[in-house]
Amino acid sequence: MSRLHRSRLHRVIPIVTVALLAAACGGSSSGKSAVSGSGATPDNHLVVLQDDKHLQNSDNVVAVVRIKVAKQPLIDALNKVDTTITQSDLVAMNKRAANHDDPATIAGDYASQKNLTAGVGGGSGKVVVGAANFSESEVLANLYVAVLKKAGYSASVKNVQSREVYEPALEHGQLDVMPEYAATLTEFLNTRINGSKAAPLASPDITKTLAALKTLAAKRGLEPLEPSTATDENAFAVRKDFAAANHLTTLSDLANYHGKLVLGGPPECPTRPYCELGLEKTYGIHFTGFKALDVGGPITIAAIRNGNVQIGLVFSSDPSLAGG
Amino acid sequence: MNALSETWSWLTTADHWTGGAGVFARLVQHLQLSAEALLLAGVVAIPLALILGHVGRGSWLVVSLANASRAVPVLAVLVLLVLRMGIGDRPVVYALAIFAFPPMVTNTYAGVRGVDPEVRDAARGLGLSGNQMLRRVELPLALPLIAAGVRTAAVQVVATATIAAIVGSGGLGRFIVDGFQTNDYGQLVSGVLVVALLALAIELTLGAAERRLDPLQR
Repeated sequence: MSRLHRSRLHRVIPIVTVALLAAACGGSSSGKSAVSGSGATPDNHLVVLQDDKHLQNSDNVVAVVRIKVAKQPLIDALNKVDTTITQSDLVAMNKRAANHDDPATIAGDYASQKNLTAGVGGGSGKVVVGAANFSESEVLANLYVAVLKKAGYSASVKNVQSREVYEPALEHGQLDVMPEYAATLTEFLNTRINGSKAAPLASPDITKTLAALKTLAAKRGLEPLEPSTATDENAFAVRKDFAAANHLTTLSDLANYHGKLVLGGPPECPTRPYCELGLEKTYGIHFTGFKALDVGGPITIAAIRNGNVQIGLVFSSDPSLAGG
Repeated sequence: MNALSETWSWLTTADHWTGGAGVFARLVQHLQLSAEALLLAGVVAIPLALILGHVGRGSWLVVSLANASRAVPVLAVLVLLVLRMGIGDRPVVYALAIFAFPPMVTNTYAGVRGVDPEVRDAARGLGLSGNQMLRRVELPLALPLIAAGVRTAAVQVVATATIAAIVGSGGLGRFIVDGFQTNDYGQLVSGVLVVALLALAIELTLGAAERRLDPLQR
């Protein structure tokens, strides 16, 4: 090949390569969504619309203990934690966990901030607190351990996997305490004890749910303590600016909204009473569309933030709800 | 009812084929996403590899690009893009384009490099410029391999475009994802079958077209 022609192409190659790389980097600029332009900076923080008609089952955080180790100092220490933490506290701690802060550190900081270890004592002996395989459970377990230690117990966290594994461990004494969620645990024990076709005992009413849970748990030598106001249950979130622009604080408010309203949720949402079906029937909300996404995960959050959907199913303690 | 009979029952329900959420509509969406991804990848990969192949230098670049993009887990890229730009067809097309890139680049480059040096010599002897050589000699002779690269990419993309459903887009993956989430195994297996048949059809169609494109009719 003639040297003359070769050199022409030689000059082209680096230019082409650089152009491609530049296009690749420039092209992936932030997906700015077109929010109804009021000129203000779009606030894509998320805020939950309150479930004022109580559609969702009460998945309040609650400590479950083996009756054999449920002495007063232990009970008091654990109740101190659960009655102190609020929904926003839980969200804030989850946000720290999402930033890869160590659960023990997060728990320690919260405990000192809220003076959780004041006024506990009188305990002795070994206590094993279980933590399931997600960061929220680890944070809660570490909170329990921090306060139990101050109360005089030799407390430690044991990482376990799923409820199918750790609930039997709790019954057999390999674990003494477990941070749990009222409604979910109730139904778990319900199907185990009363069969898979048993009528649901969990409900949006935490008092009723707790009563049912106490009965079921007692059959397994377990006892639920005082539930927290903090929950990890289904919730529906919108962008903060969307809520502000349309004066929305509760899901009932949304019934008066007749604009574009696309719901984002798991694929089964349109047929579920806790999801689209319930929102339409119980609240009278008018959806203009539905997008099948993940179950309250990062894709749903991204879709809400980016304006692809106006409202989506999230979990009430999701870190992205912080500051909202 | 087992999965097989559920599948048969799902496939033989007319409602599942028609309408905006039916198999035909999803098929069109699926092909559209696949075509856009292949076009995007092709527009970048083929000219790049043609130039590099013609010049004969920079095989390291081709190899690196191809290997790097081959190593990219397409689902992970898709989720990352969605976190950045929200849901929609664009992140799907970008992710699938990255996925389609390696076979197109590798095959095009190999096709051009594989042209018999004697043919190149003869072309030079006839006084063809570099540009003319690329257009009139190397490209036609490389066409079978380029077509094979496009075919490979097309089949892979069509089979993988099912991931669009994970991020709320349409396409045949919708049946697979929705079927899975709602424990509707009839829907799920039906989706799998249709995608598999589609991929096979693309393979056979493009394979036939490929044979026609061979200038030497080998």
